[in-house]
Amino acid sequence: GLRKCLISMDTHHLEESFQEIKRAIQAKDTFQNVTILSASETLQSIKPSDVCCVTKNLLAFYVDRVFKDHRELNPHILRKISSIANSFLYMQKTLQRCQEQRRCHCRQEATNATRSVHENYDQLEVHSAAVKSLGELNVFLAWIAKNHQEISA
Amino acid sequence: DGVAILPAPQNLSVHSTNMKHFLMWSPVIVPGETVYYSVEYQGEYERLYLSDVWIPSSWCSLTEKTECDLTEDITATVPYSLHVRATLGSQTSAWSTLTHPFNRNSTILTPPWMDVTKDGFHLVIELEDLGPQFEFLVAYWRRESATKEHIKMVRSGGIPVHLVTMEPGAAYCVKAQAVVKAIGRHSAFSQAECIEVQEEALPL
Repeated sequence: GLRKCLISMDTHHLEESFQEIKRAIQAKDTFQNVTILSASETLQSIKPSDVCCVTKNLLAFYVDRVFKDHRELNPHILRKISSIANSFLYMQKTLQRCQEQRRCHCRQEATNATRSVHENYDQLEVHSAAVKSLGELNVFLAWIAKNHQEISA
Repeated sequence: DGVAILPAPQNLSVHSTNMKHFLMWSPVIVPGETVYYSVEYQGEYERLYLSDVWIPSSWCSLTEKTECDLTEDITATVPYSLHVRATLGSQTSAWSTLTHPFNRNSTILTPPWMDVTKDGFHLVIELEDLGPQFEFLVAYWRRESATKEHIKMVRSGGIPVHLVTMEPGAAYCVKAQAVVKAIGRHSAFSQAECIEVQEEALPL
C-alpha cells in the first residue's frame, strides 16, 4: 500500500506552479457545472491500500491524455504546465520502481475510481475536457500531498 | 530569405552548482554588430509526448549575453534538451542543441558555508541560504569524545539555529552537509569548526 510506495515529492513547488496558472486556465473552462476529478468523491474514499494504484492511474491520466490534449500558446502558462508534466513523469518513474516490486496492487475499487474519471473526460469535447482537468489539478495535488506524507518518525 | 545565414552558436555547455543551472555558449562574432540569442528547452515530457513543442526560457529571449540562467525552467528531475540560436536583425541562425540532455540530478553540491558561534553556553550555527530545495545535516560532538556524534537536520539556511547547551570548559566541534531531497543527493561535509567554552565563572 501507500507506506511502501511513498513519493518524496516536493508537491509544494507543484502547487505553486498550479496557483500561478489556475485563474487563466479555469477562465477557459466553459462547462463550470461539470466536473471530471472532483465528481469522483471516490478520491476522498480511497483506502490507503489503494492510494498507490490510484496515484499511478491518475498520473497516467494526466500524462497520457490531459497534457497532450491541451495545446497552450501563452509561454508563461506553457512553462508551468511543462513543470508539472515533467514532475508527474518523474513521479511515474518512482512509482514504476515500486510496481516492479509488486507493491502497487490495483483492486477493483481503485480501477473503478479512475475509470469514472476517464468516463467524465470522454463526456466532453477533448479540449474542453483537457482544460477542465487542468483546472482541477489542485484536487489531485491536494490528494497526493495528503496521501503521500512521509510518516514522521 | 534571411534564414540561417548567421552561424549557429557553438560550444554549448551547462554549468550547474547547488541547483543553479546555467547554459553557456561561444559568442557569434559579427564585426560592428550586436548579436542576440534565444534559448528554448524541452523536458522529457515534451520530448516523449509533444516532440514539436519547445518552450521559450524564462529569461533568455533575444539576450546579448552568452549564458542563460535556466534555474526557474528546469524544475523536474528529468532530462532536459536545450537549444540556442543567434539573431541579427532579420537574420536568424539554425538552432544549436546541447549534445546530451541535462538532468538537474548532476548538479555539483558544495559543502555549505557555516558560521559557528557561542551565545553564552549555547552553541549556535548559521548556514548558507541556498534556497528552498536545501536542507542541512549538522553533526556536532565534544572534542574530547569525538566518537559520540550528534546529528541535527536544519530545514533552511540564513537563520541562526541553536544546537546544544555546552558544558563549561568543554570544546565542541561542528560540521555540516547540504541535502537536496528533490534529487536524492547531498554534498560532502564542510571542514569541522571547533569552539571552546570558558570555565564557569566562580561566584565572588
